[in-house]
Amino acid sequence: MNEDEKFFAWLDGELAPADAAEMEAKVAADPKLKQLADQHRALGAQLRGAFDPIAAAPMPEHLQAALRPSAKVIDFAAAKRARTMPSLPQWAAMAATLALGVFVGTMVPQRTSDPVEVQGGKIYAAAALDHALGAQLASAPAGDVRIGVTFRDQSGAICRSFTAQTSSGLACRSGGKWQVKGLFAAPEGQGSDYRMAAGMDPNLASLVDSTMAGEPFDAAQERASKDHGWK
Amino acid sequence: MEQPASFDDQLASLLPRLRRFAHSLSRDSADADDLTQAAIERALKSRDQWQPGTRLDSWAYRIMRNLWIDTARARSRKSAREAPEEEGLNVGEDPREAMDASLDLRRMMTAMGRLPDEQREVVSLILVEGFGYREVSEMLGLPIGTVSSRLVRGRTALLAMVGER
Repeated sequence: MNEDEKFFAWLDGELAPADAAEMEAKVAADPKLKQLADQHRALGAQLRGAFDPIAAAPMPEHLQAALRPSAKVIDFAAAKRARTMPSLPQWAAMAATLALGVFVGTMVPQRTSDPVEVQGGKIYAAAALDHALGAQLASAPAGDVRIGVTFRDQSGAICRSFTAQTSSGLACRSGGKWQVKGLFAAPEGQGSDYRMAAGMDPNLASLVDSTMAGEPFDAAQERASKDHGWK
Repeated sequence: MEQPASFDDQLASLLPRLRRFAHSLSRDSADADDLTQAAIERALKSRDQWQPGTRLDSWAYRIMRNLWIDTARARSRKSAREAPEEEGLNVGEDPREAMDASLDLRRMMTAMGRLPDEQREVVSLILVEGFGYREVSEMLGLPIGTVSSRLVRGRTALLAMVGER
């Protein structure tokens, strides 16, 4: 943690007592830091002042209704279509949702090839996983695989964490392929859509932590890195 | 012994907070309410994947955040196409206070909207929703150092945008 991060961690009450006392003293002795602390406290108050009324406001009826078991099922895209095309009959949106459900339903069991292959004792990504690692950006998920963080390891190779439906893992670029460094099964009972429901597997998180050199890429770095063939 | 609150009851009591979270991610209230509705429906459909005994709020926030990321592309196309909205759409029949609140909200939503997505979600979860660094690190699947550095960049940019009144 650098000094900036430490300062803000102190401001957010995230430092251990000893570190907090040290930062407290440092801020007390430095008028500039003290001013910065005040400004950021005021910013926090402004943010809460702007957004808190939403949580205190009466809930719109259609959102209440969405919770009731008899509520119609409308997906996000259908809700948007309904909003932009008010004349579209309700059943059309519902039919679209149903069709999507059937489509996804028939897709899932038909996975024809394995997501990994073994070569020379090493495991490499294959098929859909290989494709997702090479083509997908974290900001634009598509298909069964969700990309998490992208970063360089200590040797300078690009690594990406991923979550598929029943597992998650880490793969790094090696010889023009994605070598799988770790693959972790979803916990029991979270099989069917792990990538949507779960956070990062703790084992994967510690693998990522120990592999990463520097910071994970932001969206622009990720895209640039893809454009350069993950080199 | 008291029965633990049902999944439905717990989700219902989370709804106001989820709606607030949606507002801090979205460009306007209509998008925020669409996102809230989509997240409720996804949570209800995926209820079997929630493990009783674990925190329902983190789970539901994560669902909303992932849905929001899923619509990132559509969102950026849309905002590139549309001109910025006129100011003052929400101005009703006075109550001065209500009007101030909604102008504050618009201003903050605009400022938040100018942050990169990966900073906005962290600022929102920690500074608006009040989660701790570790909770957010687990929720987003990011190392805690990344959460912390994104938060520094996000709140610094935000202060530069709205700090001077």
